[in-house]
Amino acid sequence: MPTIIACFKWVIDEAYIRRGFSGDLDFSSVDYKISDYDRNAIEEAVRLKGSHGGSVIAMTVGTPEATKGVKDALSRGPDQACFIADADFNKLEPSQTAAILADVIRSRIVNYDLILCGEGSSDLYAQQVGARLAEHLEIPCISFVQKVDIDGGQVVAERRVEEGIEIVAAPLPALVTVLPEINVPRIPGVKDTLTASKKPVMTIRKGDLAPLGGARLQTVGMTAARMDRICEKFGTEAAEITRFVDALRKKAVIS
Amino acid sequence: MAGIWIFAEKREQALELLNIGRRLAAKTGTAVSALLPGNPDAARDYIAHGADEVLLLPPLAADQSCEAYLPVIVEEAKTADPDVFLCAATPRGKELAARIAARLETGLCSSCIALNYDEGGKNLEMERIAYGGAAIQKVTCLTRPVMATIPPRTFEPVTAEAGREGHIRKLPAPPPSRVRVLERKVRTRETRDITEAKVVIAVGRGFEKPEDLALARQLADALGGEIGCTRPISEENHWLPQELCIGLSGIQIKPDLYLGLGVSGQIQHVTGIRNAKVIAAVNKDENAPIFGVADFGIVGDLYDAAPKLLQELKRGS
Ligand SMILES: Cc1cc2nc3c(=O)[nH]c(=O)nc-3n(C[C@H](O)[C@H](O)[C@H](O)COP(=O)(O)OP(=O)(O)OC[C@H]3O[C@@H](n4cnc5c(N)ncnc54)[C@H](O)[C@@H]3O)c2cc1C
Ligand SMILES: Nc1ncnc2c1ncn2[C@@H]1O[C@H](COP(=O)(O)O)[C@@H](O)[C@H]1O
Repeated sequence: MPTIIACFKWVIDEAYIRRGFSGDLDFSSVDYKISDYDRNAIEEAVRLKGSHGGSVIAMTVGTPEATKGVKDALSRGPDQACFIADADFNKLEPSQTAAILADVIRSRIVNYDLILCGEGSSDLYAQQVGARLAEHLEIPCISFVQKVDIDGGQVVAERRVEEGIEIVAAPLPALVTVLPEINVPRIPGVKDTLTASKKPVMTIRKGDLAPLGGARLQTVGMTAARMDRICEKFGTEAAEITRFVDALRKKAVIS
Repeated sequence: MAGIWIFAEKREQALELLNIGRRLAAKTGTAVSALLPGNPDAARDYIAHGADEVLLLPPLAADQSCEAYLPVIVEEAKTADPDVFLCAATPRGKELAARIAARLETGLCSSCIALNYDEGGKNLEMERIAYGGAAIQKVTCLTRPVMATIPPRTFEPVTAEAGREGHIRKLPAPPPSRVRVLERKVRTRETRDITEAKVVIAVGRGFEKPEDLALARQLADALGGEIGCTRPISEENHWLPQELCIGLSGIQIKPDLYLGLGVSGQIQHVTGIRNAKVIAAVNKDENAPIFGVADFGIVGDLYDAAPKLLQELKRGS
C-alpha cells in the first residue's frame, strides 16, 4: 500500500496585497492560505489513498506561523503532517526549498512511493520545486498532470504538453505535479477540523537539517504592479448603454 | 565555447530566444549556441537566425519525451560551461529547465519577462511576475549558468541575416528514460493569434452554458475582434481552447479594447491585460474586483447587457 507525500506551501493570499504610496507592496491587511494548487495535490493524494489504501503525509517548509496551514492541510484528509519550520523560511528560493524537502524525505521518510506537488505556488509560481525535488531524490518526474493513478509498481499519468496530451508511465517512487483540473478540492467541515487537531505532526527545525546552502537566485527588487484605470461604472438601461459605447468611441478604441 | 545557450521545442520559440541571445552575446562579446532537438535540417536556418553553433540532439525513441534529453544536455553544459542558458517556457521546457538547473546546481528565473545587464554590466537582472500578478520581482542569479525560462511570444523573433556562418555539432543520443510515453493525443491548435487582436472579448464563468458564447462571438464580430477567456473556461469547462486563456498561466494581450463578460477580475487573469489601452467589463456583482481595474464597467447581467450593447453598436455604425 502506497505512502504518498503531498507538498504544500502556506502563502500570503495575493488578493489582499495593496500597492503602497511609493509603489511598494503593502502587506498590512493580508491573510494566508494553502497555495491554491497545493489543495489539489493534497486532494489527489487523499483520493489515491481512498482507492489504494496506504497513507498520506502532508509536508511543508515554512515559518512557525504556518502551524495554521498544517492544521488546514490535515483537515483535508492526510494521516499526518511533516512541518519543517524556521523563522527564516519565508525567504527561501526554489532551489533551497527543494533541497530542504529532499533532505527531510531522504532522512526521515522510509519507503515513500509517490510525491505530489502543485503545478506552481500561488506566490512565486516558479514551477520549480517539484522538478528540482525529483532530481535531488533521483526519481522520475511527471509534471502538468491532469489525471493520475497508481498501477502496481508504477504511476500512470496524463500530462499536458505543447501539442496536446501525453499518457506516460514511470516506476515508483516518482514525483508528479498536478494541474488544478485534476480534481475539486474539498471544503473541510467542523468535524474535519476537529479530527485534524488529533493527527500526528512531525516538526523539524532548521538545526535538525543538513546546513542550508545559500540562495542561488537573489531577489533584488519587488514592486507592486501598476493598474491605474478610470473605474467609471454604468448601468444597463438604454441611456447608460449609449453612454458606455460613447465612452469607448471617445477613447477611439472602437469605430 | 562559453556563451549563451538556448533551448526551445519549436522553431518560432527558438527565434525569440535567439533574439535575446544575440543581444546578450553582443553585450558580452560571446557566442550563441542553440540546442536543436530532432530535426537536423533546421541547423542552417538557426545559424542564419543568429546561432554561432548548433548542437544537434538526435531524434527520440517513440516512447521518449523531450525531457529524455536531460542527461545529454547536462553533460554538454558541464563541459561547455555557458554563462547564460535560456529555455522556452513550454510545459516540457519548464520542467526540463528546472531539472537542468538542479543538476547544474544553479538558479533559474521562471517565466522571465525582461532581461537587462545592470549598470556595471556584470549582473543580468531578470524580471518576473510574483503574487499572481500583484508584483514584479527582479532577480539575479548568483551561480553559473544564469538560467531563465521565457514564455513564448514575450519577445520578437529574430530576423535572418545573409551570409552568417556557424558550427554544427551532433550530441549523443539520449539513454532510455524512466518516464515512458504510452500514448499521445495531439490536439489541433487554434490558428488564430489573439495577441495581435485590436479588440478582445473575454469570456468568464458568468456564462452559464457553452451555447451562450454566441453572445460574445457576436460582439467580437461587430467590433472586428477576437474571443479570449479565463482559465476556468478553457481548462475546467473546456469550452474554448487553451491558447485563448488570458493571464498568468496563459497569454498576455495588449488590445485597444478588452471587454470582459462575466469575468471576476482576479489578479492572475488581470495581469494578462495590463497593457490593454482600455479595459471594460460587464459583471452583475458591483463589488467584483474587475471594476477596480477597469476603465468602464457595466454593473449588470451579461445576458441583459450584451444584447443591448450589440444593438447599440449596430445603431451607431
Ligand atoms: C497560480 C494561478 C494561476 C492562474 N492563472 C490564471 C490565468 O492565467 N488566467 C485566468 O483567467 N485565471 C488564472 N487563475 C485563476 C484565477 O485566480 C481565477 O480563478 C479566474 O480568473 C476566475 O475566472 P472567472 O472570472 O471566469 O470566474 P469567477 O471568478 O467564478 O467569476 C465569475 C464572475 O462572473 C460574474 N457573473 C456571474 N453570472 C453573471 C451574469 N449573468 N452576468 C454578469 N456577470 C456574472 C460573477 O459575479 C463573477 O464575478 C490562476 C490561479 C492561480 C492560483
Ligand atoms: N515551502 C514549501 N513547502 C512545501 N512544498 C512546497 C513549498 N514551496 C513549494 N512547494 C511545492 O512545490 C510546488 C511548486 O512550487 P514553486 O516552484 O514555488 O512554484 C508547490 O505547488 C508545492 O507543491
